[in-house]
Amino acid sequence: MMPVFLAQLAKDRRSPALIILFIVGSVLATVLFTGGTQAPVTVQIFSEEEQTEEIEAKWEQLLNQEGNMEFVVTEEEEARDNVRQGRSDLAIKLFEDDYEIVTSSNLPTVQYVDQHVRTVFEREARIQVATEEASNPEELRQEIKSQLEDPLFAMEVESTTGEELSAHDMGIQLMYAFTLLVAMFIIGFRVNNVSKDKVDCIWDRVILSPVGKTSMYTGYIAYAFFIGFVQTVIVLMVFNYVLQYDLGERFDLLVVVVAVFTFSMVSIAMLFTGIVKGPEQFYALYPSVIPLIPLISGAYMMPGTITHPVMTFIGDLFPVSHAIEAMIGVTLYDATWQDITQPIIIMILIGVVSMGIGINLVERRRG
Amino acid sequence: MLETVQLTKAFKGKTVVDEVELYLDQGESVGLLGPNGAGKSTTISMISSLLKPTSGDVKLNQKSTIKNPVDLRKVLGVVPQEIALYEELSAYENLKFFGRIYRVPKSELESRIQDTLEIVGLKERQKDLIKTFSGGMKRRVNIATALLHNPKILILDEPTVGIDPQSRNYILEMVRQLNEQKGTTVLYTSHYMEEVEQLCNRVYIMDHGKVIAKGTKSELLSILSNEDTISVQPNRIDEEFLAAVKEIEGVRKVEVSGEEINIIAKKASNIVSELVNVGERHQVQILNFQMENPSLENVFLHLTGRTLRD
Repeated sequence: MMPVFLAQLAKDRRSPALIILFIVGSVLATVLFTGGTQAPVTVQIFSEEEQTEEIEAKWEQLLNQEGNMEFVVTEEEEARDNVRQGRSDLAIKLFEDDYEIVTSSNLPTVQYVDQHVRTVFEREARIQVATEEASNPEELRQEIKSQLEDPLFAMEVESTTGEELSAHDMGIQLMYAFTLLVAMFIIGFRVNNVSKDKVDCIWDRVILSPVGKTSMYTGYIAYAFFIGFVQTVIVLMVFNYVLQYDLGERFDLLVVVVAVFTFSMVSIAMLFTGIVKGPEQFYALYPSVIPLIPLISGAYMMPGTITHPVMTFIGDLFPVSHAIEAMIGVTLYDATWQDITQPIIIMILIGVVSMGIGINLVERRRG
Repeated sequence: MLETVQLTKAFKGKTVVDEVELYLDQGESVGLLGPNGAGKSTTISMISSLLKPTSGDVKLNQKSTIKNPVDLRKVLGVVPQEIALYEELSAYENLKFFGRIYRVPKSELESRIQDTLEIVGLKERQKDLIKTFSGGMKRRVNIATALLHNPKILILDEPTVGIDPQSRNYILEMVRQLNEQKGTTVLYTSHYMEEVEQLCNRVYIMDHGKVIAKGTKSELLSILSNEDTISVQPNRIDEEFLAAVKEIEGVRKVEVSGEEINIIAKKASNIVSELVNVGERHQVQILNFQMENPSLENVFLHLTGRTLRD
């Protein structure tokens, strides 16, 4: 096992560019697509109603009251042009009691902003309904506002573990989604070395040596696991310690989830290697299929967005959704060992089954 | 030492190696000669335990190796036709990898690597990456990796394909020295007749999956003892002239090779004067005419009606 492992390591030591590129790419992709959870997102707002100025001023003030986004009133033509040219991901068209999102893409930022705007509009709608019948609406509004700030009854929402229930942070979820996506690529390319070395006849030479087949497979699998695991942990450490993302108190649990996910993904890649005819086909198909997995698994969307039973079934067949569920649990809801046991067991199960079928198919292809 | 017994391999009902019987005695250098597609590589794959035969057996010292090839693999060094090396690593790193998988003791690994690099003449280039090497140098490292564990039997599958004459001569000389000085038993496959003639004590000739002739070089050449090999260079070659040559009494085989016609004819036949007559009748001028000593190429032509490079 060790000679095979060391040879793979020596190859990557000779040309580490790909690994470094993946690590940097992973961090950049997250910062780029989420705008970074720490940096405010600027969103242009405008209205085409009769009382344009009044509507814009009202919603600008309400939307900017909380959250880490900045809503700026802009001319309609300019806002639309910015979206059209790709300078902005989206703009918000305001009505008196409603809004429309102007966008030309389906980037995660759109859902992220939509979530915040919807919350503000729904709260304002409730206050309006309450003040409609009042003799002095403005007075009632102020009263509601002050009571909301200092309520008569304080309501505490607790999670099932008794802890405080945190709001879902889409930025953290996207960070995990991109990190795991990049890890899936690097793991796949390293597992594909089995197929590449077979085509190059190196595999035949190893078979003729005293090294057993089990040791050979273990060497390749262990290396793919090692490189995928190290890469993912480095990326998480960069987010946690360098970019100061709040990944929760239990980094150790995150590392365990990453380890199980990596094993599971190595197995999926082995299954893929067994299905395709050769390394070239792998290079052509794997990068096309892999980006779809987080998409189907709902990794880029708010939890509960995908409800179609077939889609959720397909998503559950891959480890990404389970890994993100466990990682979000650890980061946002202070999940413990017990809480992440189920996703971990499912990932191990996916790994064992895929590895078994994958190696079997690779062996059959030997001819 | 090593022998095959009715070794047969069929793929999807098509027999590619058909009851091949060959043996190698200790210290011998044996050639396996045949055109591309004759079944040489498949035979070698079965002998080296990479491929299970459909039927037949491979025996090492009278013991079957089909079910348990461990003993065979210990004494075997195989040089595949393909360059089976990590292009991204240096020659030294490749040798270290293969030394490790062949369980060369740690204390000996370094000296074995240096000795092997010395044999293949690449000691000075050991730190260079394989991808920077010429085809001939890659072939030499390819051979070196099979020598690290000091194999008793060395199987080389067309090790000189696609390289320059200088590297080819280097490899041939290297194999000859391994055989003569170290006593390594060699099984050398090639479709270059002159390589096998130069290196091997005994030769097996394969065609269409079968061994069609075997023996020492002189034994094989004696197949042609009742025949003359004549090389004729006419000023032009046309179908009518060729047909007429084939009709000459005593002519057994006629093969066009470039601007020459190779003729195998019965000894003591009146071939020379008949050729001149045929040439005059068809207005073909004979520019050159040569009686040749028979070669293994001629033996193959005699047996199959084709040249080795067909």
